[in-house]
Amino acid sequence: MAPDADIVPGAPARPGRRFGAAWLGLVPFFVFSLAFLLIPVGLLLAGSFADAKTGAPTLDNYAQLFQPQVVQAYLTSIEISLVTAVVGGIFGFLLAYAVILGGLPRFLRTLVMTFSGVASNFAGVPLALAFVFTMGFQGMVTKFLLNFGIDLYAKSTGFSLYTKLGIEMVYLYFQFPLMVLIMAPALDGLKREWREAAENMGATPREYWQRVALPILTPTLLGTIILLFGNAFGAQATAYNLAPLVPLVTTVITAQISGDVFHNPGLGYALAMGMVVIMAIAILVYYRLQKISERWLRA
Amino acid sequence: MTTTRSLPRLLTLGAALVLVASACSSPGGSGAPAGSGGTGGGPTWTPDATLLAAAKAEGELNVIALPHDWCNYGDQLKNFKATTGLKVNENDPNAGSGTEIDAIKNNPNGGPAAPDTVDVGYSFGDANKDLYQPYKVATFDSIPPEQKAADGSWVGDYYGVLSFEINKDIIKGDNPKDWKDLLDPKYAHSVALAGDPLNSNQAIQSVQAAALGNGGTLDNAQAGLDFFKKLNDAGNFVPTVAKQGTLVNGETPIVITWSYLALADRDKLKGTNNIEVVIPATGKFGGIYVQAISKTAPHPNAAKLWEEYLYSDQGQLVWTNAYCYTTRYSDLVAKNVISGDLKAKLPDVTGTVFPTNDQLTAAKTLITGQWASVTGLGPLKTPPPAP
Amino acid sequence: MEAVGSSARARSRRGISGGRIGAWIVFIAGVLYFFLPLVATLLFSLRLQPTGQAYVNVLVDDDRFTSTLIYSGLVGIATIVLSVLLIVPTAYWVRLRLPRARPYVEFITLLPFVIPPIILVFALLRGFSGPPFHLTGSHDGLNVLVTAAYVVLSFPYMYRAVDSGLRAIDVRTMTEAAQSMGAGWGRILWSVILPNLRVALISGAFLTLAIVIGEYTIASLLGRPAFGPYLGQLGRDKAYEPAAVTIVSFGVTWLAMGMIAFLGRGSRQSVQVAGAR
Repeated sequence: MAPDADIVPGAPARPGRRFGAAWLGLVPFFVFSLAFLLIPVGLLLAGSFADAKTGAPTLDNYAQLFQPQVVQAYLTSIEISLVTAVVGGIFGFLLAYAVILGGLPRFLRTLVMTFSGVASNFAGVPLALAFVFTMGFQGMVTKFLLNFGIDLYAKSTGFSLYTKLGIEMVYLYFQFPLMVLIMAPALDGLKREWREAAENMGATPREYWQRVALPILTPTLLGTIILLFGNAFGAQATAYNLAPLVPLVTTVITAQISGDVFHNPGLGYALAMGMVVIMAIAILVYYRLQKISERWLRA
Repeated sequence: MTTTRSLPRLLTLGAALVLVASACSSPGGSGAPAGSGGTGGGPTWTPDATLLAAAKAEGELNVIALPHDWCNYGDQLKNFKATTGLKVNENDPNAGSGTEIDAIKNNPNGGPAAPDTVDVGYSFGDANKDLYQPYKVATFDSIPPEQKAADGSWVGDYYGVLSFEINKDIIKGDNPKDWKDLLDPKYAHSVALAGDPLNSNQAIQSVQAAALGNGGTLDNAQAGLDFFKKLNDAGNFVPTVAKQGTLVNGETPIVITWSYLALADRDKLKGTNNIEVVIPATGKFGGIYVQAISKTAPHPNAAKLWEEYLYSDQGQLVWTNAYCYTTRYSDLVAKNVISGDLKAKLPDVTGTVFPTNDQLTAAKTLITGQWASVTGLGPLKTPPPAP
Repeated sequence: MEAVGSSARARSRRGISGGRIGAWIVFIAGVLYFFLPLVATLLFSLRLQPTGQAYVNVLVDDDRFTSTLIYSGLVGIATIVLSVLLIVPTAYWVRLRLPRARPYVEFITLLPFVIPPIILVFALLRGFSGPPFHLTGSHDGLNVLVTAAYVVLSFPYMYRAVDSGLRAIDVRTMTEAAQSMGAGWGRILWSVILPNLRVALISGAFLTLAIVIGEYTIASLLGRPAFGPYLGQLGRDKAYEPAAVTIVSFGVTWLAMGMIAFLGRGSRQSVQVAGAR
């Protein structure tokens, strides 16, 4: 099954040696990605430079990206993605820590992990409705709180589910579990011996975390926050069905590509290319942060 | 896929059969009492033998964007399958008109995902003429000329008006009778659209319809935008996408939607929720859908057969039973295919106006451009340049 | 532990018990956040009279629930297998021999997030609707296409899970140890690396299965009899039934994950045996 089984038999496992041959090991992955992902992206790139009606080459679609409301949509998407990635990352980490290392009964761990698998992809209309039933004007929690004289929707609170804040609350429903799922293997990999060794050398738990655990976990932590960012950045159906007035890039793209209304695929493709660029920047930032953190943790 | 036996659907089907039976049991036209128990009967469509044979040779029909509870498409498909024995591939039942057009464009070489026929909004008729193949059904002449392309490349199928679908368990007192009534403080946090104007034609047309009820014209939808601003400022507008779930839960107890969808919901929810449907007194805005056969249809004969069925008396009656006014309505009434009872059941749509393509386009440009800024709900404060 | 001084022991015990209370607090807060929306959905679904009728409607009177769920389950399994076969060797190879390929691989695996499914599916339809690879011409072809699309969607999750799993084990030492015992690459991956990635693979599999079960856009535009399109149609047609389906499918998927976890447990043994630590 291993595609690279016979490529460099017995080669010493050292990076950088036999450079050309080593790349052959990635051929299956790249071929698959080319066929089902990169070529589609290429079509999209080509489409973004073409007029949707005539097919003539144009930069018009990109010019339209700088309309105020499109810029606003990008900013809103980035903000929601950042907030839910960081908040989801922190609480997801705590939850993962609680079940993996926090001394909770072992069966809870399986329950939480499996639940996270389901919840991490609970999205779209069912998720939007679940929160409407919970926190909406007629929602279960809203009505429950009224019994105690707490009116969520009183003018003074300014609360509404159909806002950016509402979307963020809802997005966390799939952000937490994703963090739990990715962090759990990493936390699981923290070997007990390391902690014992650290303690034997008289390290405090703080020192242990600072010197041992965090340096090991940081790349995964940062990488997963990027993943959460992308996860929120690409989401559409949930936000659209909950609060269509909060403008997100994905909603604008969907409107351009598949909606009844605009049908200007060229602009939709350009918008998606904008997302690709932002994602690339996010990944660059992640590498940078990772480098900085390595230095910082070593110091 | 062929056997969907949910209880409400069976009930609807039963009701439809009863109505069909009552419609036909008295050719004289005065109409037998509903529920007289007659079985069978009703206008039955007999497929043309040559066309049927050609379609059978193709074996399948690909359709797209036909939700089963939308205008009774569930029964249409069931009847068609029963009569012809063809297999039907139902693609993306919730697709919008734009997606239907793309499905044609993206599948030029056939396959199960290439639609044979589409059911799209009026403005997608003429605009996409070169994607369709002209075909005139046997009953083509009985359709009013303004509701079809002269060469048969697209043909109007049914319409409804924008109505208020009201959850009476929440809205206890008087119903709003007209658009202006929605501003009443007693409807606080109540009124919602069944879509977002930036994504859904139905929502745009709701704004355009509101314009008619507030001094605007088909040529000027600004009054509709102003109306929704007032509705929002009054705290009556719920800025979400209304669905049956939000309607019955009470989150959006007044939903602006097509009359046939609202009335079908009312029937379906009978016994569990008390739903009433109000056709606004002014601003009756007609939305018409059109049928077309794809130029690259993998099963052109099956497609023609499907169109023949839909425009037969039987197909037309199935739509009418779901409160859809078909384009052959006057003809059906003249031929006494539609009984008095069924007629009485249909909403009163006298005075309905139908926008032209130009009016729809102008309103669309205005509303999508101004929606966010006029309602002040989104953070978009700057109106975009006109596309 | 014998060597640990008494003060250190007391300190660590205090740390642990304090941590345990904190862990319970975090856990309970999580339970509230995650279960309240589900409870609200459940209560809503029970409002259709007689109580439970919504469940009868979808489970008993409509065979589409089961048939679409089975279809999506099968596609999900195919997707998981294919995704593991692609990602594990790739992530292993990048970690062991080609660290400089990492940015490219990571970028590719994150692309699916920013390529909206609607664009992905249109591109696939365009690319495979004619020669030389005419996959859209038949149901089998479309099944291949939908699985391939889901494998792409699984990349971000599967790669991240596998990569963080690999990070936690000493890939190099294990590989060298296995090589010194004469194992080839295939054998190293199969009997050394895979067993040690158990937790990572299980979480990747969870995520993948959940994506496939819920996915709507791609399945419906490829005309697949999948669960997502069924749920989408139901959501449009009905009021209470979608809530019932949400609850049942949540439960069924959870159960399926429990089974994956249970099956995965068996290989724990081989972790200990093969682990070249």
